[in-house]
Amino acid sequence: MFENSDGGVRIELRELTKRYPGQTAPAVDAVSLDVPAGELVVFVGPSGCGKTTTMKMINRLIEPTSGEIRIGDEDVLRMRPDDLRRHVGYVIQQIGLFPHLTIAQNVGVVPKLLGWSKAKINDRVDELLGLVGLDAADFRSRYPRQLSGGQQQRVGVARALAADPPVMLMDEPFGATDPITREHLQNEFLRLQRELRKTIIFVTHDFEEAIKLGDRIAVLREGSHIAQYDRPARILSAPADDYVAGFIGTAGTLKRLALITVEEARTAGDGPEGTAGLPEVEATATLREALDAMVAHGTEEVAAVSGDVRHRLTYQDICQAINSESREVEPSGG
Amino acid sequence: MVADTLPVTGGVGDTGAPRRGRARVLFRHLGTPIAIAAALGVLYLWVHGLKLDSIERRTLNYTYMHDRVIEHFKLTLIASVIIVVIAIPLGVVVSRPRARWVSPVILGLSNLGQAIPSIGVLVLLTIKFGVGFKIAMIGLVAYGVLPVLRNTMVGIQQVDPALVEAARGMGMTRLQVLLSVELRLAVPVILAGLRTALVLTVGVATLATFVNAGGLGDMIVNGIKLSRHPVLITGGVLTCCIAFLVDWLGSLAEDVLRPRGLS
Repeated sequence: MFENSDGGVRIELRELTKRYPGQTAPAVDAVSLDVPAGELVVFVGPSGCGKTTTMKMINRLIEPTSGEIRIGDEDVLRMRPDDLRRHVGYVIQQIGLFPHLTIAQNVGVVPKLLGWSKAKINDRVDELLGLVGLDAADFRSRYPRQLSGGQQQRVGVARALAADPPVMLMDEPFGATDPITREHLQNEFLRLQRELRKTIIFVTHDFEEAIKLGDRIAVLREGSHIAQYDRPARILSAPADDYVAGFIGTAGTLKRLALITVEEARTAGDGPEGTAGLPEVEATATLREALDAMVAHGTEEVAAVSGDVRHRLTYQDICQAINSESREVEPSGG
Repeated sequence: MVADTLPVTGGVGDTGAPRRGRARVLFRHLGTPIAIAAALGVLYLWVHGLKLDSIERRTLNYTYMHDRVIEHFKLTLIASVIIVVIAIPLGVVVSRPRARWVSPVILGLSNLGQAIPSIGVLVLLTIKFGVGFKIAMIGLVAYGVLPVLRNTMVGIQQVDPALVEAARGMGMTRLQVLLSVELRLAVPVILAGLRTALVLTVGVATLATFVNAGGLGDMIVNGIKLSRHPVLITGGVLTCCIAFLVDWLGSLAEDVLRPRGLS
């Protein structure tokens, strides 16, 4: 259906509008947005700002009043809605696994709708369950209620990926899970997305989640107006206005620390000798975790460990990293 | 990966019913037929031990009772089929989002069907259309439609809207969502309504005798009119046994047809 099914395709919204009869203000007011192929864009905004409505217009669960949607080269509004939806992955907060179907049958819903052979569906189900970290042999014939919330949401993601859609829509998929499970799922999902490079629109009201997952973030206000659409680091270092700044809240710099890894910030090349006795962090950890270790141990240095290699990371390194990044960002920002 | 795994009791394919629960289910399924057999046995022994006069003998014989029981079954089964054919599609239609405004009207009408005394309905219909099997059918159907209709509506409406949204979002057509999600998940509720309707119908079918449509009502009414208690009691006990049998079949159907995976 969509060209270039390997990885994602571009999504374009043009003047997309939704008016409900009897309401003066449109729920979604002339939104235009480009989502580059293979990127994960997070719509973040308060409840009722129209972010979910905007997303649901893309798979036409809600029909737009006016405007244009293109996925790849296809004009979405000219397609048959059911065909469209079979080629757009969809994950919702409530997960929506069918309780009367086994996990394998749940994952196989879309392939079955597309008329795949039984053998092909079976192979695909096994592959997908493995992909989301569930043992296929163990889980295939279980029913959803026999799974924990986190496992169910993994199946939800596997089900959305079943027919290998280039585009995925995710509506607060991790919103209903406990914080620990949520973090697990987010990390797993990031790993998966690095591999698959789907084009994803991800709706959340959790700004932390937006920073963590998004390649880009669209901060939305009433009527789905875009307050700022940019990379997370730039939104944090150069919020477009008070509304966006309000979203970031205080401690924006601390949040930015979570976007830079120890590896990226490291300047001093000290070998193992200089790092003896220092608290250790993984080289892939973020500066926020490094700072956390410093504060916890009352030191101004930590050892960045990557296999057998150890490097020293100082408090000054962290400050430098965050400031040099600001300089990179600011001239083009705004 | 390990933090959110849940220990699952039992092996693959185990739907989680504990052993004690299964034993209880088995007992329930065996209990009713045993009770019915016992009741019929006691009835037989009792009637056998009585000295019957000629009036009683005309009724309490194999041919007569066999014919009445068959008539009763026929009334009940045909009425049930008509009830299913009317009430389930109507319930589906009324549960569609676009048709939800008619649901109070339909519910009101079917409430009426059940609230007005069935014997009154039968008398009115007889005055207007005469007597016979068809008239009895109308009365039975009017009475039995409500539970099935209401349970079909409720059964479909209680399906989690998130499931319907997920199904639509994956590209199922409206018909596919109805057939493979909504109706499938409504099955236990619809069957419960059907079971109620069947049992009601067995009882109400005794009134068919007043419109000359036969059934076990003949025995009961004869027993009362002629003051022949053995006839009355036999007719009553047979009706009860049919009601229990039908209820038992309903419970079997519920257990067999209930989708696996539901708690």
